[in-house]
Formats: sequence, C-alpha cells, structure tokens
Amino acid sequence: MSLIATAVHVELRKALASRVLRTTTILVVVGIAVLATALVAAAQAGDEQILAQLGPLADETGWSLLTGVTAQITAAGALLAFGVALSWTFGREFTDGTITGLFALPVSRPVVALAKLYIHMLWTAAVSLTLTMLILTGGLVLDLGSLDSDALSQLIRLSVLTILAGMLAAPAGWAATLGRGPLPGIAVTLMILVAAQVTAIATPDAAAWIPLSAPAVWALEPGTVHAGQLAMVAIVPITFAALTCISWRRLQLDR
Amino acid sequence: MADRLNVQGALRVFGPDAGLFGLDLTVAAGEVHALVGLNGAGKTTLMRAILGMLRLTGGSVEIDGVPLARLSNDAWRRVGHLIEHPFAYPELNTRTNLALAARLNGLEPSNVRDAVDAVIAELDLSRYTAVTARRLSQGNRQRLGLAAALQHHPTLIVLDEPTNALDPAGVIRLRETLLRRAADGAGALVSSHHLDEVARIARRISVLNHGQIIGALETDMPDLERAFFDLVRADDEQRRS
Repeated sequence: MSLIATAVHVELRKALASRVLRTTTILVVVGIAVLATALVAAAQAGDEQILAQLGPLADETGWSLLTGVTAQITAAGALLAFGVALSWTFGREFTDGTITGLFALPVSRPVVALAKLYIHMLWTAAVSLTLTMLILTGGLVLDLGSLDSDALSQLIRLSVLTILAGMLAAPAGWAATLGRGPLPGIAVTLMILVAAQVTAIATPDAAAWIPLSAPAVWALEPGTVHAGQLAMVAIVPITFAALTCISWRRLQLDR
Repeated sequence: MADRLNVQGALRVFGPDAGLFGLDLTVAAGEVHALVGLNGAGKTTLMRAILGMLRLTGGSVEIDGVPLARLSNDAWRRVGHLIEHPFAYPELNTRTNLALAARLNGLEPSNVRDAVDAVIAELDLSRYTAVTARRLSQGNRQRLGLAAALQHHPTLIVLDEPTNALDPAGVIRLRETLLRRAADGAGALVSSHHLDEVARIARRISVLNHGQIIGALETDMPDLERAFFDLVRADDEQRRS
C-alpha cells in the first residue's frame, strides 16, 4: 500500500472516531437546515420581523427563498465550522502531544498533512451532500412547489457553495501548524469570514474577483459571480495546501 | 558493521547554558545505552535531534551509517521511539492506536494484526485492548506508547524516560523487552532518572550535563547515585572556574 494511502487510512480512522468532527457535522448540517427552514416558514407566514431581516431575499418565494437563505447562512456558518474543524485536525497533534509520533516514520509529515487535507475535503463533500438533502427535504415539507430545473440548479448551487466554504478554510490548517495549536487556525478563519462578508457587502463587484470573497458574493447575489471567478477560489486551497506541506516538512519541535 | 546510531559533535544552542554543545555518542547493535542527567541537561534535545525533530547547527547524526539528511523514508521503518508523550489518540482504543501506529511505521496491512497481538501480549495490555486511550491510566497510556514504538521490531530504539508512570510490573516488562530486543541485535538509547533501573539494562551509562557528555558510569558501581553526582558536581565546578 502506498504511503499516501496509508496516511489517508490513518486520518480517516481518526476522523471517524472524532467526537469533535461528529459534533461539528451535526451542528452544521442540522443547525443550518433547521434555521433556514424555520426562517422560510416564518417568512411564508408573513412574519414582518423575519421579512425585514431577509433584506432583498424577502422578495423571493418558494425554492429560491429557501436556497437563498441557506446559502447566506452557509457562506458564513459552514466556513466557520470547517475552519474550526481543520484547525483542530492540525492543531490537536501539537496539543495532544502526538506530533512527536509523526516524526521518524516511513510516512513523511507532508504526506500526513496532505492526507489530513484530503479527508477534510472528503468530509466537506459529505457535509455538502447531507445539507443539500436536508434542505431538499425541508422544502418538500414546506410544500414550496414543484422541483423544477430552477429549483434543482439552486440546490446544486448550495451544494457547490458548501464545498467552496470547505476549500476557503484551508488557511486554518496552516495557521494551526505555525501556531502549534487550534486557536491560531480559528483566529485566521474568523479573519477570512469577516473579510469575505465585509468585502462582499461593501464592494461586491470587486469582491467577486477575490477568491476569499467570491463565494460570499455568490451567496448574496448569485447572478453577479461567473464560473471563472468561482474557479479562482481553488487558488486558496492549492496555495495553502502547498504551504502547509512545506511547513510540515520543515517542522521542528524547538519551542 | 556501522553503529546503529552515531552522533558526532552535535551542536544546537538555545542559550548560554541550554542546548547541545558538541556532543558525541554511539549506540552499537545489541547494546542498551543509557543516558542520565539532571532536568534540562539536554537528554530530550539530543533525542529530538536524533529523530529529526530538531535540526543541528553543527555535527552529524548517522543511523546505520547513513546521515540523517540522506536517510530514505523507508529506512525509518527500522526506528522506534517514544519522546515525551505516548503516541496515542485519546478517542481511539488501544488496539486501533496500535494498528494505526503499525501502519505508519511501515508494516504491511496483512501483518498488522499479528504485530499488534504480539506486542499486546508482550507488554500485558490485553485487558485494555477495547479501552480508549482517554480512559487509560497514565501508566497504561505509557505502556501503549511503548508498544507503539516497539511493535514493528525496530533495530534502533530511542526512548525518553520510558519508565515514567509505569508500575513495578510495567518496569519489569519493559526491562525484559528491551533486553530481548537488544539480544536480537537492536540498539537502544534510553534516558532515565532511575539509576538503579538503567544499571540493570544498560551496557553503558553516559552522563549528560549542560549539553555535553561529561563521563560514564560503570553498571556494577556500588553507589551509582554518588558517582553520578560526583561527575555532575565536578563538571559544574569546572565550568564556574
């Protein structure tokens, strides 16, 4: 078995046994689905306060309203959850003291780091699929109308947006490595979150070209972001995966 | 045959009195070499440098005659270590922790079960196979860490204060295991504060002080403790003068 396959096997076993990841998954998937469905139910019932909070989305109805609300919550909430989880995945090796056991092995540290990121993306995809299915169920329960091609494309957008949020969390793993614990990764996640939300609201046209902000703009105003701008989001995980692998290769336990 | 471990002129300075200051040390095949010293003497720093956790600014480390920088990934299969914390994930049980450590140490998946079973028997962990590391006592977690370090039958063993938290039965198990591994040709570098214990297992005892080897203790000395402190005191006085 190849070294990367071994590292992926080890990281997968750790992830499956992790209470942190299990709890985060439930909070993200169920939390977002319940919150979004409840907001749409309240809007449908004509709750003025909720309608005021929804802003431009209040003009939407049916599936468009549900997926729009979910997208906005996901762009911020899922990014935070993914960042916290990735910070823990990398940072726990230092705080649990297991990092020493990851030295002097046939499976090198950059390979272990890469396996962690691979499992993170796998988990992100699983969260994305589950959340989308729950939102679909919520929409059917709320009787939002027939599931036409528009509704399906909105659900697909939601699924892609969740995966993009997972990709944007990649700097958290690097920060947790540099800071030797989860907290620096969580701090970086919050910085990304604030920067993305502020630029998306303040200057959406420019923000659509910024990989960290494009998903947030896409969540707020789907029509203003094109596929090329969304594809540029991949720069973030690729860059930070490389930086994380370099940091793990050069890692020294000198502090 | 090259030594299992050869450290020459190891240099890594953290401060005027902290680090490694041109330290030489070897571990031959079939030998348990004990390292004793006061807290802060540099034992853990040396072991970290040997295992690549810390880069030296001078000197060299060779494992089986190959400098650390040129050691292939595959060659690390021949090394087992426990430095500071046992390699045990709190959420995983003893058997799973060992199975994952075995895989990371290069064992083929088909050989993992047998290796884990063998080391569980060797270190008397059978009562705890299904217990998560989080729920193990400190001593049993240390046993788990030792099992993870030894189960793939490394030819170079590096253990930092391995008897920490072990009960007397655990100390005897470890002693027997190390002597058996040495008899099979492994070389072991073991740091400890327990002079009587190291006298039972080591062929050589080196005394480390302020990042340098300042002398050796004979394992059959009648009063090891006194000899140790005489060496340390003489070195400290020489530094002050």
